[in-house]
Amino acid sequence: MESLNKLWLSTGLANFELGQVIMMLVGCGLLYLAIARSFEPLLLLPMGFGAVLTNIPVAGFSEVGGFLSYVYHGGIETGIFPLIIFMGVGAMTDFGALIANPKTLLLGAAAQTGIFATLFGAIALNAVPGIEFTLREASAIAIIGGADGPTAIFLATKLAPELLGAIAVAAYSYMALVPIIQPPIMRALTTLDERKIEMAQLRSVTKIEKIIFPLGVLMMTIFFLPAATPLVGMFCLGNLMRESGVVDRLSSTAQNELINITTILLGLGVGSKLSAEAFLNIETLGILGLGAVAFSIGTASGVLMAKLMNKLSKVPINPLIGAAGVSAVPMAARVANKVGLEANPHNFLLMHAMGPNVAGVLGSAVAAGILLALVG
Amino acid sequence: MNSMEQQFLEAGSLMLAGMVVVFAFLGLLILFITTVLAKLAVTFPDKIAPITNRSNKKNNKATSGEISPAIVAAISGAVSRYRQQHAEPNLKK
Repeated sequence: MESLNKLWLSTGLANFELGQVIMMLVGCGLLYLAIARSFEPLLLLPMGFGAVLTNIPVAGFSEVGGFLSYVYHGGIETGIFPLIIFMGVGAMTDFGALIANPKTLLLGAAAQTGIFATLFGAIALNAVPGIEFTLREASAIAIIGGADGPTAIFLATKLAPELLGAIAVAAYSYMALVPIIQPPIMRALTTLDERKIEMAQLRSVTKIEKIIFPLGVLMMTIFFLPAATPLVGMFCLGNLMRESGVVDRLSSTAQNELINITTILLGLGVGSKLSAEAFLNIETLGILGLGAVAFSIGTASGVLMAKLMNKLSKVPINPLIGAAGVSAVPMAARVANKVGLEANPHNFLLMHAMGPNVAGVLGSAVAAGILLALVG
Repeated sequence: MNSMEQQFLEAGSLMLAGMVVVFAFLGLLILFITTVLAKLAVTFPDKIAPITNRSNKKNNKATSGEISPAIVAAISGAVSRYRQQHAEPNLKK
């Protein structure tokens, strides 16, 4: 009888707590979004599964010595996984469109307004009872506006590791929702005539330009913002491997096997932070709300900047491409192309939007570096 | 309340500094692209691969002006493969 009782006490049923059940349902919700709705499935699937695993009673996945605890401390707390992913993203990025039309860098800069404006929102939320964000936590939340998953995770682990789960879930959820969040803002801020604007064909970019570009970006980061060199440096390494053409094997590994393995572990590690005590609180609701605000402000700022540039420039600029400045590569560029096609079926903005899109990646990495330097 | 005001002030200065640095950094990058990279592009343009008709010459020589049997075989192979691939769905219907 004692053995039976002991056996019963070792079952999940006897040990479940309400919080764990709720968090498992949250994990299942992420799995649903990934599988049924194809929302950022590459990360939401392992993240959702990680949330389920970490909330299994008795198994101790996230306790000291548990598998997920090693994954988190070894890869995420150290910042290794987001940086490896950034290298892979660099290896997948073609800066040709940006080099052909460098003015689009300003759109990537303008869209970062979402990050810094959200700081105010996070602090304003302190007026709500039960919420108390420090400036470090507010900065970690604000980076969601950069629409860049690895950057958000990297900064959150440095500034507010206790909020990592909620920040990662918010960042990736909103990145998946780009096609839903952005178009109404883009339409509201532009006229039909502006959306119809056709842009001049981009010039061809030489190989030497593409090789020197990442080196130049790295040099500038070293000189002016060394706090951003972990992110920018790994990004530039990946890009140089791609463009140099002499290490195709390494470039291919960074773009495929390495980034895939790291994505699995990163998703599981972030999922391990989705425990009831860390996630089920009013602060999480605040973070989810602020994420949407950050995204919207970033999109609006990009579009408004593009409108201004169109007014001042001799060469026509379709304001829709400004929305792609919020990073979220290549989804935001695709959205700009789609909204442009709705207004003018002969208007293909994809390549033009890729310029501000990759500028947004650089911009959010620079913004993260600034936050680290000033608040970290 | 004072502490919140203080935090708002800090956030304001952070936003100002942040946006100035982001614009300055990416502005410098524009300068870098339009000066250094543009000059490099002019100095070291991409080499245009010479168009060689080596394989054609070889084939032409062999057949003295006629289309070589190898090309005929390749074209007919491709045509029959195309027909096979596009005929299947119709057959299923």
